[in-house]
Amino acid sequence: MMNKKLIAAIIGLLWVLLALGMIASKQHTLRTGKIVVLETVPVDPRDFLRGDYVVLSYKISRLDLNQIESEKPFYRRGENVYVRLKAQGRFWQAVAVQSKKSSYGGAMFIKGRVEYCYDKQLTLNYGIESYFVPEGQGREIEKNMTGSKSSVSVEAIVDSGGNALIKKVYIDR
Amino acid sequence: MAVILNLVFWIIILYIIGKLFFGRRRKVYRWLQRELPLWEEKNIISPDQGNAILNIYKLKRVRPKARMDMVKVLTLVGAVFVGLGVIFFVGSNWQRIPAHLRTAMLLAVTVSTLYLGYVFSYEKEGFTQLGKSLLLLASLFWGGTVALIGQIYNIPTSDNWYIVLLWAFPIVPIALFFNNNYVHILASFLFVIWNFLYTVSNSTPNYYYPLIVFFLMLPTAHSLLISRRINIAGLLAASIYCCFNKYEWLSLFISVGLLAYYLLRKEERVYLYTATLSFISWAIAYFTVRELSPNFYFLIPVGIISYLTYKDAVRENAVLCLITLLVWLNLTFYSYSRIFGYAFPVRNFIVLQALLGAGVYVAGIISQARKYAFFEIYKVFGYLVAFVSIYLLSFRSLLEIEMSGGSRVYFYVALYIIAFIALAVINEIRKGGFRIKADQWEFFALAAALLGSAVILLNPQAALINTIVANSVLVIFALTNIFLGVEIKKPPVFSAGIIIFALFIITRYIDVGWKLKEKSLFFIIGGLVILSLGTFLEKQRRRIIERMKV
Repeated sequence: MMNKKLIAAIIGLLWVLLALGMIASKQHTLRTGKIVVLETVPVDPRDFLRGDYVVLSYKISRLDLNQIESEKPFYRRGENVYVRLKAQGRFWQAVAVQSKKSSYGGAMFIKGRVEYCYDKQLTLNYGIESYFVPEGQGREIEKNMTGSKSSVSVEAIVDSGGNALIKKVYIDR
Repeated sequence: MAVILNLVFWIIILYIIGKLFFGRRRKVYRWLQRELPLWEEKNIISPDQGNAILNIYKLKRVRPKARMDMVKVLTLVGAVFVGLGVIFFVGSNWQRIPAHLRTAMLLAVTVSTLYLGYVFSYEKEGFTQLGKSLLLLASLFWGGTVALIGQIYNIPTSDNWYIVLLWAFPIVPIALFFNNNYVHILASFLFVIWNFLYTVSNSTPNYYYPLIVFFLMLPTAHSLLISRRINIAGLLAASIYCCFNKYEWLSLFISVGLLAYYLLRKEERVYLYTATLSFISWAIAYFTVRELSPNFYFLIPVGIISYLTYKDAVRENAVLCLITLLVWLNLTFYSYSRIFGYAFPVRNFIVLQALLGAGVYVAGIISQARKYAFFEIYKVFGYLVAFVSIYLLSFRSLLEIEMSGGSRVYFYVALYIIAFIALAVINEIRKGGFRIKADQWEFFALAAALLGSAVILLNPQAALINTIVANSVLVIFALTNIFLGVEIKKPPVFSAGIIIFALFIITRYIDVGWKLKEKSLFFIIGGLVILSLGTFLEKQRRRIIERMKV
């Protein structure tokens, strides 16, 4: 009997530790990271809203390797890369892509996973492409993101490892 | 194209065979197993007689199903409803309570439910069922907690696999240490979902999934049939998915694992069926990766599986073995056609199936003469493959596709197959076979199929002649069945002949009618004619069957 009680206690503790671990790793990013503001790009409204989250696509999600510094011309799918960001006006823009993060005079790097790379066009996923919204509120953001120009921007926090988290979503009216 | 064509063709054949051969038989067996205790209870038969009846069909006595306890149903449904309610609540992203307070509250409720589940299961007497349901509820709450944390930190939907994995793994100890079947089923189901999410999101084969199933979920599901079925289905689905993603090693890994499980637990034949199907997936996945190198390694598992099928007399698997072999032959043809640069048009593919079907049929005749096992499966399978192929070839539009290109090569391939079949038949005649009238009828249909196939391959440009040839073979098939059915006094064989004949008439009528401008009148008159013809044929069929019975 005691054994079962102990097992129940261990499972309960395991669950609490796992939940706290998940929270702690994200909190670490939020506490230690630097803020960057990223510009979103309009997306196809049919693919835009699925249920209760908003799909976000950034200008830095699609990179033209002819336009920015890159250590190689091709990256394979699923590969982790580090994109160097530089503040240009209000928004941060991508200036270089590399496979390993290097200390580049305190430069800001964001970690991305290669989704697609063809003809020197690189599509990346930064883990900040979904923004969960209260039920029914996604439509408003959708309206602001469609059309020729998006008026939605995202304030993200990037920690020293390049991991990013969404802090705020701004809708400019 | 090659893969899809192969899959579609064999799925049709498998479906028909399953329906014809096993579906009805299994239904009758199940009925017998259910009814037998009732006859014994009413003293219509004695238990010994009951056992004797079961022995004839090699059936086991089934235990009457335990009646579902009302309390069990209510507590289980209640737990599922509350659990789903919480998950939906998390989904609604209700923001009146701060996110972290929400998480803390849900985590506290989850752990408390876990504790209550333990208390009612082990400390309070008479509440075991409630305890089990509470443990399931705690597992559902845990999923809600993980989803909530994922939502708060906006973990992208492309990482949903990570959320599902974090849900599934930590609930496994509840299934194992508290023997909770519900949670085992839930975890098994979650692992299936995780596997697909992981593979799709990361575009890599997921080797962890079969490892988890083979070494964790299946060994711990020994008394839980539903869970075993979910895990086996998950493995098979994962293996089939490999065909479309060029993950040939993963598919092989799953196939070998399933085969090993069959060797360990022979009483569960489902492992052998799924291993066979999984090896077919491997053959296809291998082909998609290395189109230019035929997979001769495949013959090793085919040999092992065929041996086990015979040794353990697994009747149903004999059909799968035949499909396995024919899929391999087709993929090998494709590979060689690519290597030598010959086109492999749909027409040639179908002609080859007709020939292979005829080959399997001959194997059935020889097996029957020598009283080998499964001869009837060979005959029905071979006949069906040949018939479906010839039926498809009877459409002129199909014979008109890609009328040129590389067909000479297939003519020679066909010649080899025909020569091989002819040698087998001659050998059989030499040993005294094909003497009775029934055998001669079968031989007649077989010869028509072989000859027809050769003509079509020899002269692919002549679509009209080929259509006439294929239709003639179809009519010969119908007539053979009708006369053979009367000869051997087997109503199903006779009825099959009538069905083929009716199918032939209807198909050709629609074929012609479709090209006419004035379709309505044609179809109304045609429909009436077919209805009258159908009634006439049905009357004749019944009369002859009645006569056969007398």
